[in-house]
Amino acid sequence: MRLIQTNVAMIALAAAIVLVHPASIGPAMAQTATIRIPVLVPLTGPLALEGTSQRNGAVMALSNPPAGVRLEYEVLDTGAAPETAVNALERALARGGVSVIVAPIFGAQMLAMLPIAAERRVPLITISGTAQLTEMGNPYVFRFFPNDSVAKNAHALYVVEALGKKRPAVLFQTTAYGQSGRQHLAANFARLGATVVFEEGLDINLKDFLPALIKAKQASADALVLQLHAAPTALLLRQAASMGLSLPIVAGSAMHQPTTAALLQPAERKGVCAESASSPVSSVDPAVERWVAAYRREFGAEPDDFALTQYDGVRMAIDAAVQGARGPEEMRAALASRSFQGLAMAYKSDGVGNMAHDAIIMCYDDQGRPRIDRRYPRLG
Amino acid sequence: MSAIQLTANGLALGASYALVALGFVLIVNATGAVNFAQGDLAVAGGFLTVALAGAMNLPGGVLLPIAMAAMAGFGVVFAYLAYFPLRRQPPATVFISTIALGIVLENGANGLFGAAPRLGPPLLPGGPVELSGLVLPRQSLAIVAVTCVAIAGLHLVLMHTQFGRRLRATAQDAEMARAVGIPVGVMIAWTFALATGLAGAAGMLLSNQFFVAPGDGTNLMLKAYIAVTIGGWGRVWGAVAGALIVAFFETIVAVLLSQSAAEMLLYLAVLGVLGLRPRGLFGETIGRRA
Repeated sequence: MRLIQTNVAMIALAAAIVLVHPASIGPAMAQTATIRIPVLVPLTGPLALEGTSQRNGAVMALSNPPAGVRLEYEVLDTGAAPETAVNALERALARGGVSVIVAPIFGAQMLAMLPIAAERRVPLITISGTAQLTEMGNPYVFRFFPNDSVAKNAHALYVVEALGKKRPAVLFQTTAYGQSGRQHLAANFARLGATVVFEEGLDINLKDFLPALIKAKQASADALVLQLHAAPTALLLRQAASMGLSLPIVAGSAMHQPTTAALLQPAERKGVCAESASSPVSSVDPAVERWVAAYRREFGAEPDDFALTQYDGVRMAIDAAVQGARGPEEMRAALASRSFQGLAMAYKSDGVGNMAHDAIIMCYDDQGRPRIDRRYPRLG
Repeated sequence: MSAIQLTANGLALGASYALVALGFVLIVNATGAVNFAQGDLAVAGGFLTVALAGAMNLPGGVLLPIAMAAMAGFGVVFAYLAYFPLRRQPPATVFISTIALGIVLENGANGLFGAAPRLGPPLLPGGPVELSGLVLPRQSLAIVAVTCVAIAGLHLVLMHTQFGRRLRATAQDAEMARAVGIPVGVMIAWTFALATGLAGAAGMLLSNQFFVAPGDGTNLMLKAYIAVTIGGWGRVWGAVAGALIVAFFETIVAVLLSQSAAEMLLYLAVLGVLGLRPRGLFGETIGRRA
């Protein structure tokens, strides 16, 4: 097995906004099929943290190919704008031979890429939670993360049924991710008989959350429900602790990320819960524990469920290749019809590309350590 | 109670924006060029203090002058990369070069520290301060205090020292300053050093209060630009007033209406200022804008 790694990332970063990360070629065996899987993720901009996890998960899967396939991949930064993602997609496709593409977690970028993927007939595998992606009748998108109809169902169920709260306040990001989550939360709370007493959209660059927290308190909310990205989640929780807010807080999936938790003191995250697809660092499954150890060795960081579910997604595509899927159309058919047991959960398309149907609620205990509090299997 | 807490938070936010805007104004005055990397320099200062805090077990009060001095030194390097080679080119060229260096800084921080937001060291240790039932974040108070000291110090240097007079002379008319023997190049390098030192202070203060992430520079720069536009192009006190107005919208107006409405009203207010007082609330000191 020969591994060639060309790390030109920093030089390219200095020269251009678009970044090219390590290109890796798997075992160079004469009779093996070559599968090309570009990894298009946001490594800069507001979603760089999530995009880096996504990249790491994909790279872990691509760096360890099974016998019978040769993997080629490159990592392209999709930055902060839809047009950058489209440019990256065009660049990846221009090189030819693409079987499947790892596509960004950033919902707005995915929405821009979907028509091109359909036109060029190339499947995209993503972990973006934006529900709309699989509601547009595009057969070339496969989501390996619970979409909002699953995740926000679990989110609302936990608030209403587990916590017994009926007057939540919802703070959401004004991005596609935030808007989509807010819409599903509102529908689920209504279905469960809860009344959203206050809601507000918050810009992703906002630094002061005190106004929104004060208004939630003034509205007599009995729980605070967040649909925010990683840094805003940590900042809001810090300011909530600073103002002595005593409401139970159930955050979005960003809060399960170890890097988000690391920004907070144990006392600031104590009692905070979050929905997620999985929590690899809390898992007691030996296979996940081995994966977590490998991830730590490889990247010197704590893995989150974005990394794990993206790993599972790429492993499913590789498994399809091992089973004989070669070009993009065969890969699409395999992803659409097969099931796959990943590390986080079992994946199978619901007919529109939603592969993940389980969700969990994890909470931080008195010492600020994460633990899985509830599991919600097969919600979607 | 909430109103006082909001005011404290707003003042801290405005003070942070003011430090970035002040550095921006200094460079505009000295060179006539817009340094669009000022926000990224503040972010660099934030990451520098994160690194220093990890390497040295020093209190924030000691780290602050170290970070400011290191960033001031980097400011001179920045000037030799982004300004001096292009000083005889049209102002837009420097404008582009600072954007380019800002992108290099952002991606350099991403490469060195990773994409995750980082928590910088506190200027003062300890939790919030409780005054008559009010819970005020100690760091917010520290930010306001440091900004007041920085502004007063800057005012003192600019208005009451020979060095300050030379800086002002360079800013007002570089050719005339050169004719009377003032080393204009050295003065401009000093200006970049001062501006970048202020950015370093802003970066450290922001990194503890609001975290620091590689992509934060653009937003900081935008806030500084708006502050300077509202206050008056090149006006030191205008920049401070403008920064406080921006923070007022983000805190007080946001609690009265909503964050989105506050954001829209802020930009409408900017349009209003540009329409009614095109030179800003305090007037312009120079006539060129990028």
